[in-house]
Parts: sequence; C-alpha cells; structure tokens
Amino acid sequence: MIGEQKGRALQLYLTREPVILAMLSALAVVFFLAVTGLSHLYHAQQESLANRWFNRGATDLKERRFESAVSDFRTALLYSRDNYSYQLNLAEALIGLKRTNEAFSYLINLWEREPENGFVNLDLARIAAQKGETEQALRYYHNAIYAAWPDDQQVERRDARLELVDFLLSINARAQAQAELLALAANLPNDPFQQTRVGDLFLRAQDYENALAEYRLSLKADHHNSAAVTAAGIAAFQLGRYALAQRYLQSAVATNPSDAQSAARLKTTELVLQMDPFQRQLSVAQRNLVVIEAFAAGGQRLKSCFGTAGSAGATSSGASSSLAESWAKMKRQITEPGLRRDPDLIEAAMELVFDIEHQTNTACGNPSDADTALLLIAKMHEGN
Amino acid sequence: MNILSNSQIGILPEDAQSEPTASLPDRSPAALLRSVFREERFFLILSVFIGVFSGLAVVCFRFAIDWCRIYLLGSGSTLSPTRLVLAPTLAGLIIAVLVIHVFPMARGSGVNQTKAALYIYNGHIPIRTAVGKFITAALAIGSGHSLGPEDPSLQIGASLASALGRRLRLSRDRMRLIAPVGAAAGLAAAFNAPISAVLFVIEEVIGRWTAGILGSVVLSAVSSVVVMRWFLGSESLFRIPPVQLERPSELIAYSILGVVGGLASVAFSSGIATLRPRFKALPRWTQYFQPGIAGLLIGLIAFLGAPQVMGAGYEYIDEAMHGRFTWQMLAILAGLKIVATLLSFVSGTPGGMFAPTLFIGAMLGAAVGGAEHVFLPHLSGSPGTYALVGMGVLFAGFLRAPMTSVFMVLEVSGNYSIIVPVIVANTFAYVISRRLQPMAIFDVLTRQDGLDLPSMEEQREEDILRVEDAMRPATSALLDAQEAVDHVFKRLDEKSPDVLLVRLNPTGWSSVTRKEIENMVKEGKGGLTLSSVLAGRQISFLHPDQPLDTALRYIDRWPLVPVVSRADYRTLEGVISQLDVLKRYRDFGEG
Repeated sequence: MIGEQKGRALQLYLTREPVILAMLSALAVVFFLAVTGLSHLYHAQQESLANRWFNRGATDLKERRFESAVSDFRTALLYSRDNYSYQLNLAEALIGLKRTNEAFSYLINLWEREPENGFVNLDLARIAAQKGETEQALRYYHNAIYAAWPDDQQVERRDARLELVDFLLSINARAQAQAELLALAANLPNDPFQQTRVGDLFLRAQDYENALAEYRLSLKADHHNSAAVTAAGIAAFQLGRYALAQRYLQSAVATNPSDAQSAARLKTTELVLQMDPFQRQLSVAQRNLVVIEAFAAGGQRLKSCFGTAGSAGATSSGASSSLAESWAKMKRQITEPGLRRDPDLIEAAMELVFDIEHQTNTACGNPSDADTALLLIAKMHEGN
Repeated sequence: MNILSNSQIGILPEDAQSEPTASLPDRSPAALLRSVFREERFFLILSVFIGVFSGLAVVCFRFAIDWCRIYLLGSGSTLSPTRLVLAPTLAGLIIAVLVIHVFPMARGSGVNQTKAALYIYNGHIPIRTAVGKFITAALAIGSGHSLGPEDPSLQIGASLASALGRRLRLSRDRMRLIAPVGAAAGLAAAFNAPISAVLFVIEEVIGRWTAGILGSVVLSAVSSVVVMRWFLGSESLFRIPPVQLERPSELIAYSILGVVGGLASVAFSSGIATLRPRFKALPRWTQYFQPGIAGLLIGLIAFLGAPQVMGAGYEYIDEAMHGRFTWQMLAILAGLKIVATLLSFVSGTPGGMFAPTLFIGAMLGAAVGGAEHVFLPHLSGSPGTYALVGMGVLFAGFLRAPMTSVFMVLEVSGNYSIIVPVIVANTFAYVISRRLQPMAIFDVLTRQDGLDLPSMEEQREEDILRVEDAMRPATSALLDAQEAVDHVFKRLDEKSPDVLLVRLNPTGWSSVTRKEIENMVKEGKGGLTLSSVLAGRQISFLHPDQPLDTALRYIDRWPLVPVVSRADYRTLEGVISQLDVLKRYRDFGEG
C-alpha cells in the first residue's frame, strides 16, 4: 500500500517539475539557436558597416583630412565599440586636429588595455611632450622604445628613440640625449642615412667626437654624401681638428659652392692652420714668422678695440692698459732674430696675444677673421 | 513567511524538546524529488530560465533597435536632414496607431507596471504588453525619439516571467514575485550591470530584502547578463577614462555638481509631472498625433545642430567622457535632452527614461566639471570623471534610487576610487530633489495613472514601531522558580497584579495568575515548587529592539510577555501585553 502511494507520488513529480524543466531547457535551446541565427546576421552587418567606415577613415587619415577621418572612425566605433585599432586611429586623427585632450582620453584607455603597445605609448609621449609634461613624456617614450611593435620592431624602436632624443634636445637635456644616442648608435645598422641622422643628433647634443665617428661611418659607405661631408667638417672644426675639418670643408665647398656657411668655416679653418705657431711640421723660421704675424694682429686688435670701444675701454681700462704696456714692452723682442735668440719668447708672445684676444673679445666683440682664428688657436692650446 | 529564527523570537530549546520526536527522513525517490523540487527551490531554478529567456528577448530587442536606426536614420554618424525630421515623425504616427489600437498597455512606465503586477494584479502582466513594448519601443528609439531601452527591457523581462509563471500555475505568492524577478533580468541585460539591476528592483519595485527574493532576483539577473554577453560581448556601456581624486578638497567641486544635478532633476521631474496630465487630457484624437509631433520637434532640434539628443545617446555620453564637447555645448545638450525627453515621454511614446537620465547627467556633469576647470584649473578630475559622477547624480535625483545610483556608477566604471565623489554628489542631489519635489517620479506617474501603489521611498523612510516603544516596566516582584507555591501565596496581597512572571532556571520564563496560585493551594499543592507545577508552561519572550509586529504573535497566547535583554535572558527589561500594543498602535496612528 505504502509502496503504491510512493510510486504514485513519484509519478506525479515525474510528470510535473522534471518535465517542465526539460521542456523549458528544450525551449531555451530552440530560442538560443534562433537568436544565434539572428546574431550572425546582426554581427555580419555591424562588421561590414564598421569596416566600411573604418576604411573611409583610414583613407581620410592618410590624406590628412582629419575632420572627416574623425567622423568616419566615430561611426566605425558605433558598430564595433571596443575595437582597439579604430580607437587608435581616431586618436591619431584627433591629434591631427590638435584636439589632444580628446585624443589623450582615448589613448589612455587603450594604454590601460595594452600598456605595452608601441603606437599608443608613442602617441601619449607626443601629447605629453606637447603639453610640456616632461616626466610623462619620458615615461611614454621609454615605454615606446621597449614596447611591442607589430611590424618592423627594430625600426620602430629606433625611430621612437630618435624622437625621444629630439625631444630631449628641444628641452636642452643634452646629457640624457647623449646617453640615448650612445645606446642608439650601438645598435645602428650599416645605413648611411641613419648614421648621418644620428650624427646630426650627436652634433646637436654637442657630442662632436661621436658625431664625427657617425659621419665617418656614413661616408665610408657613401663617399658622396654631401650633408655628411659638411657635418663632418663642422664636427672636426668643433673638435679643433682643423686639418681634418679643412679636408671635409674643402670637399663640401667643392660639391656645393653656394654653401656660404661652409665656405666661411673653411676660411676660418685655413686661418687657424696658418696662424697656429704650435704646429709640429713648421720649421723654426716659419714658426717665428707666424708668431710675429700673430703678435702684430694682437696689437692691431688691441689698438682697434681701444680706439673704437670707448665705453668698453673705460670699464676695462686697468686690464687693457696693462696689456698694452706688456705688448709694447715685448714688441721690440718679437723679431726674427729676437725669437731665434730666445725661443721661449714664442710661448710668452702667444700667451700675450691670447690674453689680448680674450680681453678684446669680451670688451669689443666683432673679431676679425684673424682674431677669430687666434681665439680658436687659444682655445685649442688652453688645455696644454 | 516566517522571517525570524527561533532565537530571534525567544523560543527556547525546551520548546523543541517538548515537540514529538521527528520520524526518520524519508529517503524514497519521490521524497528526494519532492525535496529537490520544493516550490522555493523550483522557483530558484525557474529564475535561471527567466533570466535566460529575458536575456534572449533583450538581445533581440537590441538588434531591433539597431536595425531600426540603421534603416530609418542611416548608418553614418552624419545624418541626412530629411531623415532626421521624417523618421521620428512618421515613426511617431505609426507608434500612436499601434499604441491606441493594438498594444494599449505598451504605454507608460515598465517599473510601475511591474509594481502594479506585484501589488495589484497578482503578478499578471499580459504577454501582449511585452510584444507591444518590443515593437513600439524599438521603433521609437531606433527612429530617434529621446528614450532608452532599459525600461522596456525591464518590462519585457517581467512580462515573459509572468507568462511563464501563469503557464506553470505557480502559487499566488510566487506569482507576485515572478514579475520583479523577470524585471531584474530584463534590466540587467539592458544595462549589462547585474548588481545595479538587482538593487534597483529591490529598491524600487519590491522594497524589501529577503533571502528568497534576493536569490531569485540575483540568479535571473546573472543568467540574463550571461546570455546578453554571449551574444553582444562583455563591453560595458561606456569606455571610461581613468578616474582619479587627488585631493579631498575636490569634493567641493563634486558637491557643486550634486547641487546642480539636484536642481536639474527637479526641473526634469516637474516637467513630466506638469505636462503629462495636460497631454493626456487633450482630446482623444490628438493622441494619434502627439508622438508624431514630438518626433517632428526632436527632428528639428537635431536638424538645427543637436542630433545628439536623438535616441538613447550612449555614443555621445562616451564622447562627452572623452572630452569632445566644450562645457557650454555640454550644458546646451543637457538642456535640449531634457526638452526632447519630455516631448517623447509625455506624448505617450513607449520607451524608458533611464538612458535619457544618464545622458542628461553625463552632459551636466561634464559641463559642471568643464566650467569648474575654467575657474580652478588645478582640479584633477577629467571630463569623464565628472560625466560619470553626473550620471549617478541624476539617477539619485530624478529616479530617486540612491543606492542603485552609487552601485550603477561603480559597476559601469569598474573603478572604486570614484565612490566618495559619487556618494557626496548623489547625497546632495537626492536631498535637494526630495526637498523640492517631495514625490518621486515613479510615484507621480502611478498617481497620474490612477493607481495606488506603495511608495518605496515612503516605505524606506517609514518609522518602525519596536517592542521598546510599547513595553512598560515590570512593576511587581518576579517570582523565582524554586519558590514554593505556599510561599508565593503568602506574599500575595491586594496590590499584587493578576499575572506574575516566573524566572525559570537556567533561562526561560513562565507566568502564573493569582487565581492559579489560589487554586493550587486549595488543591494541596502548596508545598510544591513553582518549577514543578509550571513544567511545560514556558512562555516566549521578546527583546526591546524587535518590531512591534512580532509581539502580535504572542500577546494573544499569554496575557503578559516578558521583554528581556539580548545580553542576558534573565534580565527583565520590561513587560508587554495586548493592551500595551494596541494602545501604542492607536497613539501612533493618531500622531
């Protein structure tokens, strides 16, 4: 009897709740499949619309029609709301429109999603650099340098570092720029264009030694690279290696006679070479002659400065009169026989000339070519 | 439903011991199935199915809205002027015919219809309502009417759940709850925010927290969100830029946003409260044209340079968060959206106000943030932060759902550092809105529709009477269980009360009347102790903090119920009788 009752109860439950649940499950599966079909249609349409608008945007961006590109990318995002590439392109179009704040808010979202993305870091670095946020800019530039890049990773990283160096130089952070350049130069391929580019940056960072090294490497591969020749001339000139500078500058002027700057620098270089009495290859007679000419030029400079720069002369009257006295006192000895007799006079005479050039340069400015050459010679021998 | 545990109502273990010994559990297959499919468990399983079906319906609803938008307004972001004006106008005319002749229940607020199902119609919402809402709201939102998909989704969920409950012939209690369970599922799928949906339904529809309801609502909301994410992805509604609060002093800036948001909420809800009855009072034939004219005016606003006010406008909220607009433009957009939403809603066009509320809040927030930045450039909050807080502010001020407003922002942003600004700003908005517009918008709409549904806001703030409000001090001495009956009898005099409380050992209480003591002495039981004569007559006791309603369960069984301390059940704090309870209720009603 009890068994019969239990059996009936079981039957009752089996004909109700489990069946209901089975039917609901079946219904859910049917609806699920139906919605899946609709979903395919929906997503196919959304994807097609998104692609269409994105392609339009990409074309507009390429042709620098930033306003249209922004509108197109926004529409594309309507159909593919979370698409990384669409947002990145939108941000770039916004940067093109100088709407950096807006671009920044998209980029920072993307950065949170993929902090290692090179493009995003580079764009964020550019925006931070524009805003003058140096610390942020450096952080994003460094991120970009060590970031993951989809295509040519080496090239992208190198370009990011070049841009960072450019930024550092623009804020006058030369030491940091030099450090970055050294890292860059160490991994530079044998490409004359890139070597010249890095050489230029070394030059801007006033690291003439490394600049000259890069230009030389570049010229080794391409002897006719006129820009590299000119820049190498400048670097050698700045390093005080005038013989080398003369060679490069002569070549530069020969290649491009209209290059007035190189011509002027060449002239100065030649004067330095002519007026430097400490060159080893000079004979005693030649050296004495050079010293006599330099001494005369110094006297001339002293005279012209105090003759024309009254106020300057007034302010430095004590020092200048002492220089004039020393010059007058030594004048009689600075002759061919005098110098031959006492070679130590060469040193003393040139020291006085250098003093005169320094003083007059401070007081009067506008040195003549010969005076400029003497100043450069002075600079060259100051350390000795 | 018994919501109190034994210890809460003061039933002691002795009571349980006095119950007949329970028989061994029945382990037969039928009993096993019965235990698995007990109604509350079956209801939980059913909640999952409700969530799945609601999620599927909401996904289809989203498809329908997007398809309507693409085919009616075009696929580009720059819309053709002809379509801008014609699409909402013509759609409005079609919607009017559908709402008047085919789906009359599609009009109105889904939240209120779900509440009506819960409190008036025993959970009944016709399936036709869901179909009507689906078609008309998709057409309205897709054609550019300034309305959102959340409220219709909520109603579609509720309607599906109700249909399922009817089909399965659930009990009346379950049927009443099934509509809110479906509503939570619909809202969760529409918002992609299950926590906010659960909170909203508890806060605004059901109004009370119990484990049974919460379990069902959570299950349905979660399963609907899972379904929705399966088809539409798990992206949140907006791309939220990083949020930060660098200095606590910046909370002042957010407070200002709270004040502005509160005032805007009042303007928005006053507009609806004033215009809706006037539009409804117009001759019946005008109802054929009201949605069309509203559509025409919205189209003109769009044509004149503000297409952002059309539709739900989520994409523009996103753009505002990313700093696309100037603060002046943001303020204009907030104002125009209020106008456009008023036009759409009061004309009887089906659709929800959640999305417009978020839009207005976001624009207003970003505008206030932008203006503050002009005067105080050191503020660290981005436009996105202010827009996000602004959304919460309008939610708190206009929809008057303070808890949901906070969690909604947290859930949408996924950033908990914003919680303090949100709470501060929302509190300002809520307080201002309550002060200037005493009745919440859902209650206003309910009254306008001629229904009398409980106001959740009033319920939340209702004073609850507790036992301590009605109890009185125990004036007579307590009897000890070890005292002899004779001894007690001798202590009795004229002033002794009719009912005496007896403290039992180790804990527990009993009571005895004077008459009973006299009878015991007459029967020759005077030498016995009280504990022996009162064996098995343990009475329940109460605690001072318990609701007074609880006392109603005991005061008719015992003339005097002890009120004891929770820290020590032997410490009597007072006593309570039926008369005390009734007197307190009468005074409360008069007060």
